[in-house]
Amino acid sequence: MRVTATRATRRRGVALVALTAAGALALTACSGDSGALPSDGDGGGDGDVEIRFSWWGSDDRHQTTQQIIDLFEEKNPGITVVPDYTDWDGYWDKLATATAGGDTPDVITQEERYLSDYASRGVIGDLGELGVDTSEIADDILGTGEVDGTLVGIPTGVNAYAMVADPQIFADAGVEMPDDTTWTWDEYVDIAGKVAKGAGDGVWGAQDYGFNEAGLNVLARQQGETLYNADGTLGVSKETVAQFFQTSLDLMANGGQPDASRSVEYQNAGPEGSLLGTNAGAMGVWWSNQLGALSDASGHELELLRLPGESEFDRTGMYFKPAMYYSISAKTEHPQESAKLVDFLLNDPEVAKLQLTDRGLPANESVREGILPELTAADQKVADFMADLEPDIVDNPAVPPNGANEIQDIMIRINTEVLFERMTPDEAADAFLEDVGAAIGG
Amino acid sequence: MAVIQEVARTRGAAPERRKGDGRAAVLFLAPWFAGLILVTAFPLVASLYLSFTDYSLLEAPGWIGLENYTRMFDDPRFFQALKVTFTYVLVSVPLQLAAALALAMVLDKGLRGLAFYRSVYYLPSLLGGSVAIAILWRQVFGADGLLNQVLGFFGIEGVGWVSHPDYALGTLMVLNVWTFGAPMIIFLAGLRQIPAMYYEAASIDGAGRWRRFRSITLPLLTPIIFFNLVLQLIGAFQSFTQAFIVSGGTGGPVDSTLFYTLYLYEKGFGSYQMGYASAMAWFLLLVVAGMTAVNFLASKFWVFYDD
Repeated sequence: MRVTATRATRRRGVALVALTAAGALALTACSGDSGALPSDGDGGGDGDVEIRFSWWGSDDRHQTTQQIIDLFEEKNPGITVVPDYTDWDGYWDKLATATAGGDTPDVITQEERYLSDYASRGVIGDLGELGVDTSEIADDILGTGEVDGTLVGIPTGVNAYAMVADPQIFADAGVEMPDDTTWTWDEYVDIAGKVAKGAGDGVWGAQDYGFNEAGLNVLARQQGETLYNADGTLGVSKETVAQFFQTSLDLMANGGQPDASRSVEYQNAGPEGSLLGTNAGAMGVWWSNQLGALSDASGHELELLRLPGESEFDRTGMYFKPAMYYSISAKTEHPQESAKLVDFLLNDPEVAKLQLTDRGLPANESVREGILPELTAADQKVADFMADLEPDIVDNPAVPPNGANEIQDIMIRINTEVLFERMTPDEAADAFLEDVGAAIGG
Repeated sequence: MAVIQEVARTRGAAPERRKGDGRAAVLFLAPWFAGLILVTAFPLVASLYLSFTDYSLLEAPGWIGLENYTRMFDDPRFFQALKVTFTYVLVSVPLQLAAALALAMVLDKGLRGLAFYRSVYYLPSLLGGSVAIAILWRQVFGADGLLNQVLGFFGIEGVGWVSHPDYALGTLMVLNVWTFGAPMIIFLAGLRQIPAMYYEAASIDGAGRWRRFRSITLPLLTPIIFFNLVLQLIGAFQSFTQAFIVSGGTGGPVDSTLFYTLYLYEKGFGSYQMGYASAMAWFLLLVVAGMTAVNFLASKFWVFYDD
């Protein structure tokens, strides 16, 4: 009895030790920086290297990107690419949390409003030294990936903020489509009102454009201003902001756009539930790459038009915006392999054929040429529109400053105040300048 | 496995038993304990530390003392968030408890198919906080939504129930009242414990229905009401999902649904001000703890313990 008891105690002791050891192992595995244990350590030289590539997007993009990764791994034996993807909303939370935990992906998809935040805090590194081939990307486009003179992101492709119009609703309303090279903002308001009158109940002229700061940027640039100066300060005047909001009020007054409540709801409904997508309106301002989704939802053949006012003031305001960027973590263990992947994503013609315009109309010009014949009708229109627009673009705006991602919420909040007539355009302009100034000043 | 065998074996050995069971208990508790320390206690302490720093999530935190706490009181949106949250809590919780009690009393009458009704009324509580319901809510209460179509049938012109700043918070309150299932079940259990003889005696004395409710049901139910009140208050302070989905994460329209936790989340993950967000979290903790303490103190005057 005595003996069994001691043996039992001893065995319990062993179990305890084993459990503690397992726990300790699990803990170190969790807390350890991925660099602490050489995961690529079997055999040295060009042994197996594992890099992580993060992106956001829809299911379609995930599948295409997986095919691209397979292709890359096939051509580069010894490099394994671990996919790390989620939808847009969750992406930035996830990336920030991973960064906080010291577990930043090696290759990171970035967006202009976040680029500076991540670059200035040393999360993403200098791409200039890594030998990624950028010779096929136009200089002014490539320049939009520079923060303080350092190339921290390479544009994947470009979009333009443009007017999408539904010719069928114009025809139903008995209104002629505008000449988009000459139309002014006043004419836009006027035309939207006429369409709404002609098309009857439940159909409007245009969806409210005030929830997106890109429209304000175009209006500012048309008048020789800009939303953000290159030094990261605000470059737009109070008068221009007030003028921007006044257009929405004019459109509500002449019936050209829905009432405030409906505008808020349409804003929340995405391309599928938008005025154009539900055949409830003739015009809406969108990023050019959304033409496909809008056309699919509406079932009509939609057209891209230049924004109003391009010939009304001193200069044109429209610009090419990089759809997204590829960046490389400043702390990556494998900068060469990561650079190889970025190079492949940007320059390989097979990659372009797989993803077409999903990451914007390719910034790489020779790759862009190569995919033109493969594009859908809508994407073909986008490509033609962009080619037509390019010579008239004066310059592309600088990377938005730190804190610029907050402007989305500020814009939505203040525009809603204006639509519900709780603020005059003048008050809204003051509030806008103050709030955005605080966001990017901090 | 080995542990289980050992525990079984030591059962017979009386002198060793106490000690052996203690160790086994520690072992079995270890996973839960590890979870408590790693997932709850550590983050709690860490967030207290972070609340005194300028932590941005993207780079290492730097100590700034009480600045986050003093900054709060210069932040108009912080006060807006407090106003929205207090309005929501103080209006929707009492209404929700009243609805729960009313339905519990109806169900307590011994309806046929009680289990069925109980489940039906409990259902919203399971769904209410979910994303699907919040999205559905947006459809039903939209300017062209189901509710307005029904109202239109009666010739009433509706408004955008979730898109108009004057109505959005009210709509969310209705959504919260609707999820009365959990307190209802607890009320039902409480009602069952009130001895029938009290009612019989009161009936013989000629007490009417209202009198019986006021003088028997309500006093004997006060411990349950108190329990539900504390629980629902704490829960309501932490509301997040409904406003997040209905407003697309912005607390809109015009900050009218800017719940405290939503603003905290926006600051932490949207503006990369995790230090400020941590300070806000601790401030909320203090507010909720304060409310609960007041509740407990006040309970001495109205809660009746029958023992």
